[in-house]
Amino acid sequence: MATLPKKESRAPTTCLGLDTNYGDGLERERSRKPDHKRPEHYGVGDPTTTFSSDSSHLSSRGRISKWFWDSAEEGYRTYHMDEYDEDKNPNGIINLGTSENKLCFDLLSSRLSQSDMLQVKPSLLQYPDWRGHLFLRKEVARFLSFYCRSPAPLKPENVVVLNGCASLFSALATVLCEVGEAFLIPAPYYGAITQHVYLYGNVRLVYVYLDSEVTGLDTRPFQLTVEKLEVALQGANAEGVKVKGLILINPQNPLGDIYSPGELRQYLEFAKRHELHVVVDEVYMLSVFEESLGYRSVLSLERLPDPQRTHVMWATSKDFGMSGLRFGTLYTENRDVATAVASLCRYHGLSGLVQHQVAQLLQDRDWINQVYLPENHARLKAAHTYVSGELRALGIPFLSRGAGFFIWVDLRKYLPKATFEEERLLWRRFLDNKVLLSFGKAFECKEPGWFRLVFSDKAHRLRLGMQRIRKVLTGTLRVAEDPPSSRTQEPRGQHI
Amino acid sequence: MSHQSDSLHKPCGQMKDQGLKTQKPHPPVMELILRLRQLIDEYSRQLKIKHLQEDLEQEKQRHSQDTREQEAILVQLLGEVVNLLQAGATSSLELQLPRLSLDSRGGGGQQAQLPRKPDQLSHQLSDSKAAVVSCDLSNRGIDISASYKSSFKDFIAYQGDKYHEDKNTLGCINLGLSENKLCIDLLTERLSRSDMNYIDDDLLQYPDWSGHAFLREEVARFLTYYCKAPEQLDPENVVVLSGCCAIFSALTLVLCNPGDAFLIITPFYSGFTFTSSLYVNVELIRVHLDSEITEADTQPFQLTVDKLEKALLEARLKGKKVKGLVLINPNNPLGDIYSRDSLMEYLEFAKRYNLHVIIDEIYMGTVFDESIPFHSVLSMESLPDPNRTHVIWGTSKGFGISGFRFGTLYTHNKEVVSAVGAFGFLHGISGITQHKLCRLLQDREWIDNVYLPTNRSRMQEAHRYITNRLKTLKIPFLSRGSGLYIWVNLKEYLDPCTFEEEQLLYRRFLDNKLLLAPGKAYMCKEPGWFRLTFSDKPLRLKVAMNRFSQALLEQKQYWVEKQMKCVLGE
Repeated sequence: MATLPKKESRAPTTCLGLDTNYGDGLERERSRKPDHKRPEHYGVGDPTTTFSSDSSHLSSRGRISKWFWDSAEEGYRTYHMDEYDEDKNPNGIINLGTSENKLCFDLLSSRLSQSDMLQVKPSLLQYPDWRGHLFLRKEVARFLSFYCRSPAPLKPENVVVLNGCASLFSALATVLCEVGEAFLIPAPYYGAITQHVYLYGNVRLVYVYLDSEVTGLDTRPFQLTVEKLEVALQGANAEGVKVKGLILINPQNPLGDIYSPGELRQYLEFAKRHELHVVVDEVYMLSVFEESLGYRSVLSLERLPDPQRTHVMWATSKDFGMSGLRFGTLYTENRDVATAVASLCRYHGLSGLVQHQVAQLLQDRDWINQVYLPENHARLKAAHTYVSGELRALGIPFLSRGAGFFIWVDLRKYLPKATFEEERLLWRRFLDNKVLLSFGKAFECKEPGWFRLVFSDKAHRLRLGMQRIRKVLTGTLRVAEDPPSSRTQEPRGQHI
Repeated sequence: MSHQSDSLHKPCGQMKDQGLKTQKPHPPVMELILRLRQLIDEYSRQLKIKHLQEDLEQEKQRHSQDTREQEAILVQLLGEVVNLLQAGATSSLELQLPRLSLDSRGGGGQQAQLPRKPDQLSHQLSDSKAAVVSCDLSNRGIDISASYKSSFKDFIAYQGDKYHEDKNTLGCINLGLSENKLCIDLLTERLSRSDMNYIDDDLLQYPDWSGHAFLREEVARFLTYYCKAPEQLDPENVVVLSGCCAIFSALTLVLCNPGDAFLIITPFYSGFTFTSSLYVNVELIRVHLDSEITEADTQPFQLTVDKLEKALLEARLKGKKVKGLVLINPNNPLGDIYSRDSLMEYLEFAKRYNLHVIIDEIYMGTVFDESIPFHSVLSMESLPDPNRTHVIWGTSKGFGISGFRFGTLYTHNKEVVSAVGAFGFLHGISGITQHKLCRLLQDREWIDNVYLPTNRSRMQEAHRYITNRLKTLKIPFLSRGSGLYIWVNLKEYLDPCTFEEEQLLYRRFLDNKLLLAPGKAYMCKEPGWFRLTFSDKPLRLKVAMNRFSQALLEQKQYWVEKQMKCVLGE
């Protein structure tokens, strides 16, 4: 769902440490000129602004929800109506926008068709323990203990099972925050979280903007530092926004980056200092295909700075390539949080039969270790090698460090002007040429021109997708070099 | 909500503190202080009024200035004395107070703290709320936990001590949960057939969020047939989510702004309370029905347009924004069915006042008495206000597969379809489950020739058994041929007839290892009603009814003893 074209929620707010006289006309005039634009370190999201979808029957919240739906139609649903198929629809859309792993359906289908998966027991058909069936929670605890390399065995009592991480974000936001309170989140980030915490929870996000430029003490682009977290937190506080927690995605989406154990600890210490909850989304934990990266789960740390405020989520959507299975899980030592989230599971439950299947899958270490993971990593690596090679041949800069399903691509030079309108026009040009990508604005990236390109797809689709991208980009460069008068797309920018 | 408890308006931190208090401040001292405070406040108020008058007069200005200063000093001194007294009283009498008020959650976040919505469950929650003490949860998080614990405490205990005919004959039998356990054998067999075990790439990928098209098409066909719709229902009007609670919460969210309200016929299934008041922040305004038969009401607990109108106008007078009406048909817990005419009257009423109608027809498939015609709202030739009529259905009750987590919405309103459909990512169903459901709903031959006849005859038999036992015990009850339960009147066993006594009787059943659902859980305004689920295996029903009789016998003995004591005491 990351392809959701997002409406600009609110112009990034005043920057901290600088004068806040933006209300006065002169300042506003100055700040409008791109040359004088001041660096922004954080922003407060507010989904209620700028939604004006007309509707006689829906509430304000309903209109926001409908807006999400309608805008999804543009990319994701256009794709669903015109999906590429080698034989039946060779001119259909190739989806390199949705973060799905389509490389291992053969392995998964055959595993899920084995006889142990097909068991139907009466207890699976009846009302469950709302936290999830005990047999599954036990299996999840064993699985995470092993693959996260936790220093001590994890406990089934700390596990809550529900239908995906989206639900978990929604439930956690509701039970940790009051209406109007906020989570800090380093941006760019997986944009759908905005809706997840907002629709039921009415919780907002405070973006900690990261830069592509390597400056100061940073050693890599889009680096998160405690200093940046501090600035954003203070800024939000100064605006009267109460921050309750910090969301970390590790491995990161869309950067494909991972946090080192040292960094992770610093962020956790920062959170502890400010009594913030930390929600760590580790949904790409087993999709680190570059082993030299040395990925470490937060559950592997010897002593967590603030275990009662550290909540980890994982799911099968990414690491087992089954986003359609709808399985997500929370691990937290905080029993109150576990119970409160479980209390909401009646809205976010998953079928007992699926719970059985997930338990069988997680149990099968032989298959996971000897068949699935090696094969999955090899296929991810091959696909990644191909796509990054193509990008290099096109002379396109990108970021990708060997985790996740995507490459964070820098197409800034293809924008005639550094604006999100232009970014969106380029995105639409890709779509018109039947390839779906995700643009940076959907991840709340503050620099226009970044795109997320998903590479975890079959070779022939990748080849075709890259051809279409190449076609658009070579055309675009020409357009960009043309005198401005020849460009006709300008009015469509209003569409945002 | 009609019963507003004052304590509920306090921030949660305070409530918690009170819950923790073991000692009360010394009453006479506190009373004195409060009285004194009142006096001072009153005095200073009168002074202000007087001063205002004086100001108007513009006379003796200088003189009044002097007296004002003197008076101010006097008031301040008195105030300080009182504060000192108060501080002394609390620190000596109640050591916990100062420490607890340091709780960081108490004060902060003013801007974010909305006045807390009183909800129907809250007054039941006070016990469990005290047990939930956490500085990590939000106020609503605490309420959600407390509500969960209070409604599922005994259910969780039951799960640890389930009755089993061989392994745990002393275990608890659950006739409090509305589950159909009569046909699990048929479903297990059907779901084990090979057509169910189909895996496809599409089933493993992100779905269309409103549900896979194949399932929505099948749901439309199924409802067209079994609801006897005048014309084919449109798959585009179908949304599929993880259970009816999910549908209800998403639906109310997209129809209501925070704090808006829906009318709900009471007694009603309390799961809705939980959903709406806590997660969605929607208020449910109860339209109370009476068990008594009067001139206007020819049946117990009869719903009339008058009652709806009265409740609506009262709510509007109080400034509530009522957005719609919830109807449950067949009704839970009454086991009642609305006639076509009454249904039409309710819909017309809603149309008159521009109200949405959410009709929960989840018990559609549980009508076991064929002589009682059930009319789905989807069977009506023309709906008074199709754009404001939204139907909910699921497989949990009719098919007895509550573990499947499947619910569906049918509405002509395209805006509502797309707004609720967007909730697919929060309430999605696994593609594999969607496939199984589709196969199940598709298999008309099995449904019509195997499942429905068997289910109906087993339900009839179980129902007959329980009602006969109740008749033998001379216990009045309501049951009109649908639902999985009987609404039982045990008022005679309460003395006095209060909710405290109802709770005691509930406990007595539980002591006898029998779980029933007390009327309080349905917000019934008359104490003494219980919902008893009959859709269980014959053997378990027999044991359960023995325990039921035993508990009532004990209740009677307890009375006799109580009266004896009274007599002897005198």
